[in-house]
Amino acid sequence: MSAPTRVGIVAVSHSRPLAEAATALALEMVAGDPPPIAIAAGTDDGRTGTDAVRVAEAIGEAAAGGGGVLVLMDLGSAVLSAEMALEFVADPPPVRLVAAPFVEGLLAAVVRAAGGADLDTVAIEALGALRPKREQLDDAAPDDAAPPASGAADAPPTPSAPVADGMPAPAIAEATVRNVAGLHARPAADLAQLVMASGAAITFATPSRGPVDASSPIGIATLGAGPGTVVRIAGSGPQAAATVEALRALIDSGFGEELAPGLEGEGAGAATGAGEASGASAAAVAAPATPAAAATPAPARPTSTAKPIGVSGGRVVGPIAVLVHAADEPDAAARVPEAERADARARLREAMLAIAGELQQRADRVSGQRRDVLRATAAIAADPALHRAAEALVRDDGLTPERAVWVELERTVAQYRELGGRMAERATDLRDVRDRIIARLRGVEPPGVPEREHPFVLVADDLAPVDTVGLDPDRCLAIVTEQGGPTSHTAILARELGIPAIVGATGATALADGTVVLVDGDTGELVERPDERAQATATGVITLPPFVGPGQTADGHRVVLGANVGAPRDIRRAVERGAEGVGLFRTEFCFLDRVTAPSVDDQVAAYREVFAAFPGQTVVVRTLDAGSDKPLPFLTALDEPNPALGVRGYRTARRDPAVLDDQLRAIAIAAAAERADVEVMAPMIATVGEAVEFAARARAAGLERVGLTIETPSAALVADELCAAVDFVSIGTNDLSQYTMAADRMSGELASLADAWQPAVLRSIRLIGEAGARTGTPVGVCGEAAADPALAPVLVGLGASSLSMAARGITAVGAVLSSVTLAQCRAAAEAACAAVDPAAARAAAREALAR
Amino acid sequence: MSTTDTLTMPAFTAWLAAFRDRVTEQRSYLTELDSAIGDADHGANMARGMAAVMEKVEAAAPPTADELFKTVGMTLVTSVGGASGPLYGTFFLRFGMAAGAVTECDAAALSTALRAGLDGVVARGKAEAGDKTMFDALAPALEAMDAAVASGASLAEATAAARDAAAAGRDATEPLVARKGRASYLGERSAGHLDPGATSAALLMEALAEVAAS
Repeated sequence: MSAPTRVGIVAVSHSRPLAEAATALALEMVAGDPPPIAIAAGTDDGRTGTDAVRVAEAIGEAAAGGGGVLVLMDLGSAVLSAEMALEFVADPPPVRLVAAPFVEGLLAAVVRAAGGADLDTVAIEALGALRPKREQLDDAAPDDAAPPASGAADAPPTPSAPVADGMPAPAIAEATVRNVAGLHARPAADLAQLVMASGAAITFATPSRGPVDASSPIGIATLGAGPGTVVRIAGSGPQAAATVEALRALIDSGFGEELAPGLEGEGAGAATGAGEASGASAAAVAAPATPAAAATPAPARPTSTAKPIGVSGGRVVGPIAVLVHAADEPDAAARVPEAERADARARLREAMLAIAGELQQRADRVSGQRRDVLRATAAIAADPALHRAAEALVRDDGLTPERAVWVELERTVAQYRELGGRMAERATDLRDVRDRIIARLRGVEPPGVPEREHPFVLVADDLAPVDTVGLDPDRCLAIVTEQGGPTSHTAILARELGIPAIVGATGATALADGTVVLVDGDTGELVERPDERAQATATGVITLPPFVGPGQTADGHRVVLGANVGAPRDIRRAVERGAEGVGLFRTEFCFLDRVTAPSVDDQVAAYREVFAAFPGQTVVVRTLDAGSDKPLPFLTALDEPNPALGVRGYRTARRDPAVLDDQLRAIAIAAAAERADVEVMAPMIATVGEAVEFAARARAAGLERVGLTIETPSAALVADELCAAVDFVSIGTNDLSQYTMAADRMSGELASLADAWQPAVLRSIRLIGEAGARTGTPVGVCGEAAADPALAPVLVGLGASSLSMAARGITAVGAVLSSVTLAQCRAAAEAACAAVDPAAARAAAREALAR
Repeated sequence: MSTTDTLTMPAFTAWLAAFRDRVTEQRSYLTELDSAIGDADHGANMARGMAAVMEKVEAAAPPTADELFKTVGMTLVTSVGGASGPLYGTFFLRFGMAAGAVTECDAAALSTALRAGLDGVVARGKAEAGDKTMFDALAPALEAMDAAVASGASLAEATAAARDAAAAGRDATEPLVARKGRASYLGERSAGHLDPGATSAALLMEALAEVAAS
């Protein structure tokens, strides 16, 4: 398959000897048939100079290859002459003048053209030709000459980069964007980080935009690549082939996000390690994307919302606190005197890097989605393209550093807005970065969440990720924003914090500070100055005092009401809300976002923080529940076809028992150091054998009270034997519902199936409750069902002796239980189990409790 | 002193000859300016280019303005070597195209043609005011000339105004930092020197004023 056409090269230089020597150097790299090369250099009488007429002739000569012409120039008049020459070429072939370094660019272009690459590819290659040298001198790149052990061993099998006489050949690949959200801020940050770490020069292009520098997250984001868009990845320099392949794989993976319909299958992109220096096997570059089929970006979703949308459930009443950020626009007319510009640039750079560092530090202190979001925001502040552009405004035009940041980020905001959809929703992140940098330059406090003594409803134009990091979920009852959509950071973070939230509430910031509002994050309802009747419908914490234990029914049947704790930040809330200990301490926060397991010492410190808050009370620690929706790179497989049914929970201990043993040891050490009554349980136990094995390990580590969670139908069916093997069991209703009903709990469409009110789920719980009663084993419930005040009595009637839930639900559940007898609970349980569907079960339970 | 209100073909040739004489006389000065911030070839290049132009023009004088200035432009492009080749080349090519197949120009037509030439320079060099280029001499010159023509000045008066404005523009390049061409590599060090391109452009306007006044 030899290429039918060749790209011709024209070398324009002031000096004929220079052009001839550079051309000879380039030709040394080509083993086979060289591409047409024409030189236009020096004057006819042998002097230094360029001549537009001669350049025009050279373009004509180089066009003989039929693949278009790439023109490389040295400097000054060479550029002018080359541009002018285009006016002299009658019937011109496709010609590209590239601002590539003359010698390096010529070398790269000749090699690529010899390999049969097309004009675009040759041009991109030439443009990136300076990268290896720059990195070598800046010492920024990984040492290419290092022994191959480090990088090569764990790299995925990639088409190895063909090397001609020591020069790494470029690599090209295409990847199809498959995640619904496309290459928005977080994926862009991930991709750019990979590029910067690799030291390769990489560009991305889509059929309609680019190429952009792939080390620039902003650049990547401005491609606006939505699902279905084919991204062309071109790389050169050290590690190019491996990096291009890694980028292709990352894009094809969908970044672990939701995949667009029709794009869930295997990724379509394939790397083509292109550019053999021999002309014979010059199959080279992947064919351009077929125009109509895959190349059309998804249409941007409109961002403006006609009416408020509830994005995080809950119904609360409280006074508002308005957050209005946005730095004042810096003076556009102010100019920095030339003598002071170097200092101004230094200050600008320092401020941008400082903010990037600060954001990254904040990211490191949190976990989950908030970490991803902050990392993406930090990447914007650290974007090298942004730094270059802003500094150029100071250097060339004398803008103040504040103004330069303003101008550049406003320009980016406009680009994001133009792209629409999710990108437009990221405008707030950009403005937040802008305002933080400007605040630092001005030496003033950065914008943030207002300080209030009392709980409040936070009202803002929009929230930036950093605003929500410092947000105290106890003080902040709800979030209402004017901007943002269902996928905005406000929505994501509010859901994660369990704070009711509404977005798209136009005009909300015009309300007077302190105005009392009712917020319903399920319906999107926002009521200004609600009357008493409306206020009574709210279930938020402001209307309910903390729980005062002990938890029990009206007739004195004891039910322990504990809190679920997922991170140290939940501790204070649990204590303040009157929790009777912790019924479920999720330990994943210690492990997430790490590439290796945490040390025993790190774990001991984290566990002690929680145990110390509950002296004399029970804290039930669940061992690491990784896998499925909580993958860990060092423990779980990423390629499972069905992760919910895969190696997750206790099953990961088969793969790596040391992680579990270390954790059990850390829990035991922490328990010995504090006064809480620490119990430990394993997640996702399916067989009696697993239960026996876990109990033995935990006891060997020195832990006395050992239990397990029941989340699988198999565990429910052998509950008697499980109860005999351990000291207690705890029912995880979310997973038990999912597995019993064979309905993905993350699927909105299946929400009515994966419902703990389903009679089949209730009957499973009954099996477990009965087994607990027969064997004298305490049965707890630690799923979301425990926080449902209507369901709690049913669970008690089914045999639950403890309920553990999000702290804010304890008061309501405690109040309901104290109003009913155990006999009523049992009657409600029987009635619910006998019902035909969730709605009938609710009605039956309500009726039985009212009796 | 007699004045005329149009420039004829002989006057155009005289303008070119006067420009050649000036760049030849000031060849060392231009080169000295260029040695401070460039590659020390502007004087030599312009002198050689204009000598080649006059050789061609005197050998076979083209009959109309467009032909004449096309010859001038192309000759400069192929003989100057430095950036002045494409820049002055473009200036004269566009000047000729705007003037058209005529044998004389009045002040307004001359101004229009000069403007077209300057637009060509801008398109080619992408220079803006303050970049320390020939634009900084030519742009104020054409503004002054247009203003003079608008107020009813004679051709001689208008070109004299252009000459003075070009000289002032040239002088104003001294403190500037070059942002175009090879001089831009010098950055701050390019300040404190007259721009050679602006200096030769001022000579072009001087030559024009001299011919219009004769």
